[in-house]
Amino acid sequence: MPEPLAGARELVDDLVGDRAAEWDRAGLIPDDVLRTLAARGLLCAGVPETFGGLGASSAANGEFTAHVGSRCSSLRSVMTSQGMAAWTIQRLGGPRQHAEYLPKLAGGRLAAIAFSEPEAGSDLSAMTTTIEPEGETVIVRGQKVWTTAAHYADVIVVVGRYGSGAAAVVVPASAPGVTVRRVPRPSGCRAAGHADVHLDDVRLPTSAVLGGGQPLMLLVTTALAYGRISVAWGCVGILRACLDAAGGHARIRRQFGKPLAQHQLVGRHLADLLTAEQIASRVCEHASRCWDSGSPDMVVATVLAKQVSAVQAARGAATAVQVLGSAAAREGHVVERAYRDAKLMELIEGSTEICQLILADHAVSMSTSAS
Amino acid sequence: MDQPIAAEGIERAITAFVSERVKAEVPVGQDLFDSGLVSSMFAMELVVHLEQEFSVQILGDDLKRDNFRSIGAMTALVGRLLGAGQSADA
Repeated sequence: MPEPLAGARELVDDLVGDRAAEWDRAGLIPDDVLRTLAARGLLCAGVPETFGGLGASSAANGEFTAHVGSRCSSLRSVMTSQGMAAWTIQRLGGPRQHAEYLPKLAGGRLAAIAFSEPEAGSDLSAMTTTIEPEGETVIVRGQKVWTTAAHYADVIVVVGRYGSGAAAVVVPASAPGVTVRRVPRPSGCRAAGHADVHLDDVRLPTSAVLGGGQPLMLLVTTALAYGRISVAWGCVGILRACLDAAGGHARIRRQFGKPLAQHQLVGRHLADLLTAEQIASRVCEHASRCWDSGSPDMVVATVLAKQVSAVQAARGAATAVQVLGSAAAREGHVVERAYRDAKLMELIEGSTEICQLILADHAVSMSTSAS
Repeated sequence: MDQPIAAEGIERAITAFVSERVKAEVPVGQDLFDSGLVSSMFAMELVVHLEQEFSVQILGDDLKRDNFRSIGAMTALVGRLLGAGQSADA
């Protein structure tokens, strides 16, 4: 692993150990685990060194994200949120805001980012949260739902309407008027701290507003890009964990006088899992290469990576459940968690269908034939 | 004195990228949003492309829609960012 992330996998293995199932059942990751990783900048490893971050490439951060995802998708999900908040500040903020916020996010503070609302899920253009200037301050009003990691966050980056366009605003979770209420027992990534966030006339200094006046969907597309590549790599991790568990089980478990792996129908499941893991890895590597080379192809490659990886992970996890049978049919088993977590990955950061619409739109716009 | 020439080069490069991407000739003044040529995905591609092609950073307030409304607007944005880069170290 390249230098900025040296020792990071070992640290994660050490911190997670065999506790991911326990965290899943409790719906909580211990604070010291999150703080330890945050303090080392590992939850948003892409933050440049000039802002106190690790300056990891997308490829290196992606492989690390997959590793975390193979151990605990809840932790990976928190990492995705922190990275997305940092990326949004990096893209939309000015130099002063970079200096103000990025070192904190790379140095121990926890962050979430809030998009979805009760009436604005896949259709984020229906967002109604407002950020209104009032003298030297702004007033934030609205209701956000399903904000990943908001339960843990010190700051929540809130996306809302601003004038005729949109902006994001950095809201301290402790600010008067902010109420964070956990989503009770989510079906996947149960310890990722999903919460609804009420913003009841929250008054903040104007300096907390990032950007302002951009078209809402450009802002959303920009912010989500990081989330999508991160989720995509997280799905690679899910597939690697499933492949490992299924392969190991099929080698050792014997039925009808021979290992499961020697039963051809089980063998096909293993081949499918390996194929899924390889497909997802390659699309993610490609997308990260586009990020690292500054290619405009990164935009579509990222949506493709998210789409392919989430679908493969959901299918692959179901396959692994089938191979392990009753061995994995208990709450918290790595494959049982993967099954629930992977399905959630098909819903967030642009559902499978929304990603397909974007890809279809791209196919049309790229077409050269005019019959 | 070489500013207009630089602007011409910028404009030509942006025109080439946009025309290639939308598979159509795009006049410098054409409104890309109103004509439906630009989705939010393509708008982000434009941002990344301009950053890479001209070694500039387009952040924060510069991400306004008006800066990407036409090839002419993007040319002005890049010209301004390149000029700013020459005059300031930070």
